[in-house]
Amino acid sequence: MIELEVRNVVKHFGGLQALKGVSFRINGPERIGLIGPNGAGKTTLTNIISGVIKPTSGTVYFNGERIDPLKPYEIARRGLGRTFQITRAFRRMTVMENMLVPALALHPTANRRALEKKATEILEFLTIDHLAREFARNLSGGQQKLLELGRLLMLDPKLIILDEPFAGVHPKLRQTIWDFIVHVNENLERAFIIISHDMDTIFTLSKRLLVLNYGELIADGDPEAVRKDPRVIEAYLGEEEEEVAA
Amino acid sequence: MYLWLALLWIIGWGVVGAVLIPRVYARRDLDVSQAALAGAMVGAASGPFGLALLAYFTPRLDWKWVVVPGAATVAIFLTAFAATYPNNLCVSNSAFVLTQVVNGLVVGIIYGLMALGLTLIFSILGIVSFAHGEFYMLGGMFVYYLTQEWFPGLHPLAAVVVSAVLTFVIGALFEVLFLRPMNTGQVERPGEYAILVTFGLSFFLQYTTLALVGANPKKVPRYFDYPRLAIPGEEGSLLKVTPGTVRLFEEIVIPSPRVTAAVIALILLGLLMWFLYRTWIGKALRAVSQDRQAAAVTGINPNVMNTLAFGLGGMLAGLSGASLVQVFSWVPWVGTQAAARSFVIIVLGGMGSLPGAFVGGLIVGVVEALGAGCVPDPHRAAAYIPAYGMLILVLVLLLKPTGLFGREL
Amino acid sequence: MNRNALWIWLPLGLGVVVMLLAPLALVSRPYIMHIAIVAYFYAILASSWALLAGYGGQFSFGHMAFMAIGAYTTGLFAKFVRLTTVPTGVCPEITVGSYTLFLLNPVTAGEPTCLDIAKATMPAGTLIYRPPIYVGILLGVLLGGVFGFLIGVLVLRLRQAYLALFTIGFSEILRVALNAEIAITDGPNGLELPPLFPKGVTIFGMYFDATSKIPPYYVMLFLFLGSMVFMHWLASSRYGLFFRSIREDEEAAAALGVNIVRYKVLLFVITSMIAAAAGAVEAHYIGVITPNILLILQMSLVIAMAVIGGMESLVGAAIGAILIEFALEFLRQNITIGPWTIDMTDWRLVFFGLLLMLTLRFQNNGLIYPIIQRLTRAGVTEEIAARRRLVPETVQEGEG
Ligand SMILES: Nc1ncnc2c1ncn2[C@@H]1O[C@H](COP(=O)(O)OP(=O)(O)OP(=O)(O)O)[C@@H](O)[C@H]1O
Ligand SMILES: [Mg+2]
Repeated sequence: MIELEVRNVVKHFGGLQALKGVSFRINGPERIGLIGPNGAGKTTLTNIISGVIKPTSGTVYFNGERIDPLKPYEIARRGLGRTFQITRAFRRMTVMENMLVPALALHPTANRRALEKKATEILEFLTIDHLAREFARNLSGGQQKLLELGRLLMLDPKLIILDEPFAGVHPKLRQTIWDFIVHVNENLERAFIIISHDMDTIFTLSKRLLVLNYGELIADGDPEAVRKDPRVIEAYLGEEEEEVAA
Repeated sequence: MYLWLALLWIIGWGVVGAVLIPRVYARRDLDVSQAALAGAMVGAASGPFGLALLAYFTPRLDWKWVVVPGAATVAIFLTAFAATYPNNLCVSNSAFVLTQVVNGLVVGIIYGLMALGLTLIFSILGIVSFAHGEFYMLGGMFVYYLTQEWFPGLHPLAAVVVSAVLTFVIGALFEVLFLRPMNTGQVERPGEYAILVTFGLSFFLQYTTLALVGANPKKVPRYFDYPRLAIPGEEGSLLKVTPGTVRLFEEIVIPSPRVTAAVIALILLGLLMWFLYRTWIGKALRAVSQDRQAAAVTGINPNVMNTLAFGLGGMLAGLSGASLVQVFSWVPWVGTQAAARSFVIIVLGGMGSLPGAFVGGLIVGVVEALGAGCVPDPHRAAAYIPAYGMLILVLVLLLKPTGLFGREL
Repeated sequence: MNRNALWIWLPLGLGVVVMLLAPLALVSRPYIMHIAIVAYFYAILASSWALLAGYGGQFSFGHMAFMAIGAYTTGLFAKFVRLTTVPTGVCPEITVGSYTLFLLNPVTAGEPTCLDIAKATMPAGTLIYRPPIYVGILLGVLLGGVFGFLIGVLVLRLRQAYLALFTIGFSEILRVALNAEIAITDGPNGLELPPLFPKGVTIFGMYFDATSKIPPYYVMLFLFLGSMVFMHWLASSRYGLFFRSIREDEEAAAALGVNIVRYKVLLFVITSMIAAAAGAVEAHYIGVITPNILLILQMSLVIAMAVIGGMESLVGAAIGAILIEFALEFLRQNITIGPWTIDMTDWRLVFFGLLLMLTLRFQNNGLIYPIIQRLTRAGVTEEIAARRRLVPETVQEGEG
């Protein structure tokens, strides 16, 4: 079961209204894109869902349980994983150690061999298994991004929120990440919320799009419909629309 | 007896308030930045009654919610103290209290000067120098050696200036050799590195000095013998000066070397302000402290500014040492306590805040003087002097880590 | 892999054997035995600090305070707590069965204690015991843990320099209080403690009196080896991974399900208890503990040992501590060059200060740890390079 329900979430930072009552539901292993201009509140929404910050008002339910009062680690253990906008690998730990942290946090008494085997398979899919014993700080930026994805999967999350996974990556690497998302989504049946400014990618990759603008959810639907939505065109895509359509 | 009851009340309800109020405010999604402090103060002053009201109405907490109950708490404490020790000098003798306060303020100015150096370093380099006390110690040592050993007859003020130059050079040199690599990415974890390497410097300087000059206390005679003076006249004078003391209103006595030191410190403070706010380099320094990147874009070389700031910071500590070496006797580890005091001051004033360092210095000066004068058992009073400041440090870090004037973290 | 393991376990095993057998060679050289005991003491402190700071990223300067808490707890316990068969009636006491546990009251020299007063009324044949030393040591360890817990909870939100300042503050307050409360702690003169084995001890049929260095040597050695084994187990278990992930990035660790609060506090509790145990044993061995042990300079010595050894490695820090302690002792001899005599007592510390700074600057993994690392990670780089060549083209062709 994967069911996320965000109900009327409001967040103020001092006088600034970063989120003005956002509501949406996710049901099942969906693949959702979350877009919006800089400062629209995408990261803030992610932070609220993952418990890093508390909403001013509103609630978040995950699989029938209210999660907004919970601590980040409790939410993570309930199967809600997220990455950060900037890469945050544990730099002075090896790739394998990075992979083991969430796995052991989730299953403290699990057999380490078994976990390492699972980690190796994920790393193989991500094409960085040969680096298992390397320190994360010695990885390239792109490899660190891959590591973050793999590490997240070790948490065995039901819902995965990726904050700009495609920012600053080479097309080849983008393909690896893309394949990974599709694989996990379709074969492992995990839901995704993907934040991206890369219009081409996000419109093709996601099956459903949420559009945030100044803290308001102005569109929610399949990419084709969203693309034609006049509010979206006006508020966000603007002149870029042509480029997207091309 | 009353005192212990009052303390129990203050600490007990203070803790309750500090723990409870932030939770209540967080639950209602109100601003919690002042909640711990205000909760502690309201709890300490009014116990469960005030806390219940605060938790129920959750008013917007501004500085009034800290200052008013804070003052009330102090009043409760003082009343209980007076009731318990009616014969204590601090209760029965107002002149004594005033003398302590004035002396505390005078010394506080110099503490402030030293802490200003530390805060300057913090605001530019973003690090706390754990070697600050050693610059203070060196400042005094240089004056001693210049005036007493190497060039007897050298005017003390000239020695102060030379010692300032020397401490500046040592600071700048250390910055170039050990801290600059932090900015060029040669050091992996700059935060930890800065703590440890300045710590190492402290260790190194202290033992080098010990090895070179030994452990015997050094004494420098007072810089100026004040002329005998009485205004308006011997009888009932407002101001009476002897070579070693300054006496105000017949009652408040301040040793003259302290006055000299405070005057030197005030002049230096003036110079520093002029330098920071009126000269191009000073403005550049402040620009870097506001925003490194932006400053770099305008053509200010941040590396040079770092070196300058660390040198200046060390120099300010050196200057405080140089002006206090005529007051205290000087040993190689004299800086440890002074450094600890500076830590208290910059945390109290707010890390990186220049006015905070000055005000913090005055507060710590007065608290120490009163503590030393008023704690009933004279042996304990003296022994606990270093603890008063540390208590402030620990409390501020727990209740309001940004200090009095600090920027939000 | 096997070859690597051998290269690590062989020297370590040899080292342990040497430490275990050293007293055989050193019976007639108590001075060296003494240095070794003190070296193990510092090794425990340096390696537990390495666990706290190097693994957990908590740059605490209060480690010596926990050590002192252990030492003073057992010292005060030995000074003030007595057992008797007859209630005193004047001292604070509790009676359990036929025994009464009571506290002596702090008095200034010359004054009678409550026990002296009680003795007048006690029936002949009343027995008064000192409670066993190990009870005091255990209490010290426990209290170290309690304080570790409190400090751990209080510093949860403080990072880096703020944490360093807070722990310095804590340590200074403790030092000042120990100095000031002369009636209880004997102030700057130091609190005297009974030896570890006041009546001597018999091991394997051999009797050692209270002044013999051999029993304390083994007590300290086993404490050292025991805590090393425990800390090593901890560091290589999931706890070690969590500690290091907290050091690297608290927020990311939390997002991956790590209960940060719990592991941070746990880390403080464990390292404080180890420091307290070392302090308690050392205090009984030396026979006196003074508040000066809390001077920041003492703390810097421990830090220097850990940093020079390598603070990301428990073994590195421990070896660093042992080497430096021995070096410090052997560098005491004055050096005479022509007409000048260099008093090494101070210059050796100058040297270590410089070494500390240079290590930090140029070799921030320490001097010992890289050697260990070369052994444990031998072949890793080659292996990675070899496997990289095997992976044909790391990513599939993009579609566009
Ligand atoms: N901790 C904070 N304190 C104050 N304001 C904040 C905080 N976090 C975010 N904001 C503000 O909230 C608004 C939304 O920020 P958010 O990071 O969610 O945007 P975003 O949609 O992720 O933007 P981007 O695409 O640039 O990442 C911005 O105006 C930001 O300045
Ligand atoms: Mg964002």
